[in-house]
Amino acid sequence: MGENLVRILDGNTFVVSEKTGDIEATPIEPAGLFSIDTRFLSKWVLTVNGERLTPLSYDDLQYYEARFFLVPGMATHYVDAKLSIIRERAVGSSFRERLTILNHDEVPVDLEVRMDAGSDFADLFEVKDEILNKKGEIYTEVESDRLRLGYRRGNFCRETTIAATGGPRYDRNGFAYSIRLEPNEQWQVDVDVHTAAVGPGGRDLRIGLQAHGHERLALQHDLEEWIAAAPKVNCECEPLARTYKRSLVDLAALRFSPVSLAGQTLPAAGLPWFMTMFGRDSILTCLQTLPFTPSLSRTTLRILAALQGARFDDFREEDPGRILHEMRYGESAAFEEQPHSPYYGSVDATPLFVVLLDEYERWSGDSALVMELERETRAALKWIDDYADLVGNGYIWYERRNTDTGLENQCWKDSWDSISYSDGRLPGFPRATCEVQGYAYDAKVRAARLAREFWGDPAFADRLEREAAELKERFNRDWWVADGEFYALGLDPEGGQMDVLSSNIGHLLWSGIVTEERAAKLAEHLVGPRLFSGWGVRTLAEGEVRYNPIGYHNGTIWPFDNSFIAWGLRRYGYAEEAATIAQGIIDASVYFDGRLPEAFGGYRRELTKFPVEYPTACSPQAWSTGAPMLLIRTMLGIEPHEGHLAVEPVLPVGMGRIEVLDIPGRWGRVDAFARGRLEIDRLAA
Amino acid sequence: MGEATTRFFDELDRRGYEPRLEKAAGTVRFDFREDAHTDHWLVVVDHGTLKVSRVDHEADTVISTSPELFDEIAVGREHVIAALLRGDLTVTGNALLVLQIERILPGTPHARGPRRDFVKEAC
Repeated sequence: MGENLVRILDGNTFVVSEKTGDIEATPIEPAGLFSIDTRFLSKWVLTVNGERLTPLSYDDLQYYEARFFLVPGMATHYVDAKLSIIRERAVGSSFRERLTILNHDEVPVDLEVRMDAGSDFADLFEVKDEILNKKGEIYTEVESDRLRLGYRRGNFCRETTIAATGGPRYDRNGFAYSIRLEPNEQWQVDVDVHTAAVGPGGRDLRIGLQAHGHERLALQHDLEEWIAAAPKVNCECEPLARTYKRSLVDLAALRFSPVSLAGQTLPAAGLPWFMTMFGRDSILTCLQTLPFTPSLSRTTLRILAALQGARFDDFREEDPGRILHEMRYGESAAFEEQPHSPYYGSVDATPLFVVLLDEYERWSGDSALVMELERETRAALKWIDDYADLVGNGYIWYERRNTDTGLENQCWKDSWDSISYSDGRLPGFPRATCEVQGYAYDAKVRAARLAREFWGDPAFADRLEREAAELKERFNRDWWVADGEFYALGLDPEGGQMDVLSSNIGHLLWSGIVTEERAAKLAEHLVGPRLFSGWGVRTLAEGEVRYNPIGYHNGTIWPFDNSFIAWGLRRYGYAEEAATIAQGIIDASVYFDGRLPEAFGGYRRELTKFPVEYPTACSPQAWSTGAPMLLIRTMLGIEPHEGHLAVEPVLPVGMGRIEVLDIPGRWGRVDAFARGRLEIDRLAA
Repeated sequence: MGEATTRFFDELDRRGYEPRLEKAAGTVRFDFREDAHTDHWLVVVDHGTLKVSRVDHEADTVISTSPELFDEIAVGREHVIAALLRGDLTVTGNALLVLQIERILPGTPHARGPRRDFVKEAC
């Protein structure tokens, strides 16, 4: 993703353009107007008298709008423009652009203003390839008052309709105006680009797909309400204040309303390529943001429950009780060239669904939702026992059934080479990874509470607790790497350990599956020199064969991962270690203007002095956006406790004073205050 | 009207109750159009209780497909959500009901399901 690309979005409609506002899609610069996982404009180029324009500046005012100030001609030594061109754009239910041209000259000018427009209707999965052989037909219809670009493959039809004020001439490649501007005269037109997924009978399949009000004012109002409803964070530590504010706005932008739940939103995974529902990402983001934006959790649980697996389907890797991995709306999903309708290939979303339901109730007191989702929660627990244990030894395993387009690694580290032995070899299948066993343990422990307190089923609760205790014992026997004193990243069916030191051990602390006497050793590893770079915990420890500071899951640092690790450390009483990690990640956020990327390099802090962004990282990404919120929760030690909110802060000195006001929950709204008293240099050194 | 479709709705009517539809309430009409002729099936869902009839009534949700496509859907060879994205199946009205109904359709006929090593060993 080039740095000169400007992105605006609303729900899963978004625009990626150059700094001029122009769109010229190439495999390297996958720009465009996108909606429902389809590119609706691949070309959108403004010229004046046949010349491209030069940007003076641009503002992305809000996530859904941007403004570009331009002058004619290519940038040379200096700009002596007698014309200014302003492009103001917003996305909502459609993409709208207002063009304004001002003549600063003392004489009239005649101008030929032209917009070249075109679309390749690429599926989101195609945008990084040369698009050569679409199976359907692209068509163009020039009408007197609009230009229609379309793509048809059987009944699958996507259409872009372009209409502008000011009476332009439309042709197959765009539209144009011949205008004369008097001295100091201003000319203005509005362009509306409408995207449609046309079904037979002309009906758009996106019934209620868009989340919020669509109109600019409604969007503005919605954003203001969103910010007003969230707790206020006042703090002396400017980077923390900035990253919190940035996160809150980005989270608003990442809200996504699926077709079936008009108006209710859940977090999509990330802009630009992941503006859709992901089981794992949505759940983890909800867990991070519960103290701040609890409404997201309710919708996420409901929609994931509604789409819970109900039968066997090898192409989609669906099983009864399984929680989905990814939903897509584009051509490749429609024609089953990709399995995302939806795809279920993840093994962590299902236990995490149970974890989120319990955590959500602990904060919100929303027992009605616990009752409503009892059947789905029981089905999720049954999936863990009946369908995920491929080896029959009491662990969650994975081995894809869709060998063409399914995912090889169905845990969060889902790249092909992320799971390996210490000699670098990749294991066969099925595979099991450690953090997922922790999630399963946590799911059983938490579900036992739900069964006892809400479902009136103490026998089930007893059974779950017994199974959890057995799992903990078994896990601590089979996964502990004795000479390294950590838990193996993975296990093979023969019981062989993938004995590499990885960040996954931090998730185990969060889940509570670690025995007390082993926690100290894990804490030591997590802030020790092999895993901790000074900015954060690496996905894979320095010194491992496959370690690479810019290896996607083999050495980079993921802010989301770190936030859960910090939470885990805090759970076992390692508040200083948790604060060390929190401080590192918040320090890193400064280099990204408060917007934490998906991942950054694992280089030692002393070496690079700044965090090196991972080259193709997706940004903003929901669980990176949620990370500062979970770090605040962790440092302040805020926990729901018997109907009230307990606060037990442990903050680094550098954080100064922090106030978090109006934390919503079953207690109404309460405030939390803290002051940094902890010297962490000792640990970070 | 294909046999599989008739079998599917007959079976649904006989079942009378489907726990996976406990949270669903409303009416879904299926329109199967062929040339000038349209067949209708009306499913009334009331928190799990099902009633199936062949009347052309107003409904909260209307699902329209060709009879051939639904015959394939009824045996799990075609998938409702993919067909909807493709435009081969259209929906008007309450979309949540479609998702709920979709969940009770059969899976693919020859799905292997999760491969379990220990089951194989036991054989």
